[in-house]
Amino acid sequence: MLEVHTWEPNANSGKPLFCLHEKGVPFIYHYVDMGAHEHHGPGFLAINPDGTVPAIVHDGLTMTESTPAMEYIDEAFPGPPLRPRDPFRRWQMRVLMRFMDNVVAPSLAMIASNRFAAPRFAGEDPGELRRKLERIPLPERRATWEQLMFQSTPREEIAESERRVSDAIGRFDSILSNQKWLAGDSFSLADICVFATFYGLPHSREEDVNDEASPHLMRWLRACHARPGLQAALRMGNGFVAERAAEVRRRIGVSETVAA
Amino acid sequence: MMRLHYAPGSAHSAAVRIVLAEKGVEPELHKLDIVHFEQHSPEYLAVNCHGTVPLLEDDGRKLFESFAILEYLDETYPDPPLIGDDPRKSYIARKWGKYVETHIAPHLAIVRWAALGGRVAAIAQAGLDRLLPERAALWRRALEGFGSDQLEASARAMLAAGDRLAADLAGTVWLAGDRMTLGDIAVYPHAAQFGALGLPLPKRVDAWLARMAERPSVQAIREDLFPVAVMGPEPGRWG
Repeated sequence: MLEVHTWEPNANSGKPLFCLHEKGVPFIYHYVDMGAHEHHGPGFLAINPDGTVPAIVHDGLTMTESTPAMEYIDEAFPGPPLRPRDPFRRWQMRVLMRFMDNVVAPSLAMIASNRFAAPRFAGEDPGELRRKLERIPLPERRATWEQLMFQSTPREEIAESERRVSDAIGRFDSILSNQKWLAGDSFSLADICVFATFYGLPHSREEDVNDEASPHLMRWLRACHARPGLQAALRMGNGFVAERAAEVRRRIGVSETVAA
Repeated sequence: MMRLHYAPGSAHSAAVRIVLAEKGVEPELHKLDIVHFEQHSPEYLAVNCHGTVPLLEDDGRKLFESFAILEYLDETYPDPPLIGDDPRKSYIARKWGKYVETHIAPHLAIVRWAALGGRVAAIAQAGLDRLLPERAALWRRALEGFGSDQLEASARAMLAAGDRLAADLAGTVWLAGDRMTLGDIAVYPHAAQFGALGLPLPKRVDAWLARMAERPSVQAIREDLFPVAVMGPEPGRWG
């Protein structure tokens, strides 16, 4: 059976969980506690030497790139297709996922982790933080954690991320003013890719994600939140995302589906 | 009718042309001169506001992002199939397509810019003001010159890429197994520049480069595989 080693149903970590629930594919979920830096510990590094979540293992293949892994899940398992048939629509889906993965999601991650994670390191012993940093395999990840632990992310970088996120919200709202889902008439991996990071925005970015400022994006967020598969995925984890997602559903008026 | 905007010296353009040749498809070609920054001319920016090549026009639609173009071509012209004939191979091909965009192409561009002493002629600098903010910012960083930390990080990224290629080529002829896929084609034009820039590659990767170079689809564009001091995709800003 397919196994997912990951943290919460959130961003890259959550993409396989959302995808598997939408397909109705059974799987085994191994919770990786990022708060306790388990993803940089020997147990997880034996599965993924890069120390990044998620890691998805199936038939001896270990997949650590979440977007290509979603395409794998869609190809390898039965269930509702999550990619449009038409090659041009597929191109749109993939370009949008690339934009999300390379531009929007890292910007949101920079903003969120500086707001929520960085303050937690204040007052910790710098020597101990350095030892934690040394365990991070990828140099680009290490650089990111170093900025968080020592609260040294340049202000202008955070401002640039804010600009990019606002720009993306406008862009997605405009796409969704013309079509039901992000890659056309049918729900696709592009919707999962964006929802995995955007599900909480009506709460955490209320100022630009609301019915006046981005009505089409809000219509789409409600439609995503109402999907039983996505709701079931959001209920996984240790409760941290589940509670936040339930609060968002209350705020935007989406009812609870029967627990899967 | 399809029309491909491409440039000699652009590795991403080369990948698209290799796929077209493998499929036996011949679009109308529009060649740009990136050595002289024709990609930043008002005429080309009117076609593609990103100021990048390649760009494929098909039936009035404009397609950018080279790996997404490769997949589009593979789905539009399925013979011979190049994404791989099972989900495992497709995953590996797509993983490499992604790695080219996030690691190889951005860092190769930085190493190349330094190695070739990149500069923008005064007459071409006006072109940078016409770019979208992210692209313009990247070019300005290049013009100011990359710092030693960035250059070291980019050089290390190239060594890591060589090691990862060697790992996937252990015991196989192509990156995803017994058949060439879009993964090989996406990586090849970038890896083919390593030698000219003094970047070492493991022996196994050199042997794979030689296998790729023998293919008629690669032979047909081999004059276009030279390195040019131009920026690639933006390096990752957050992990």
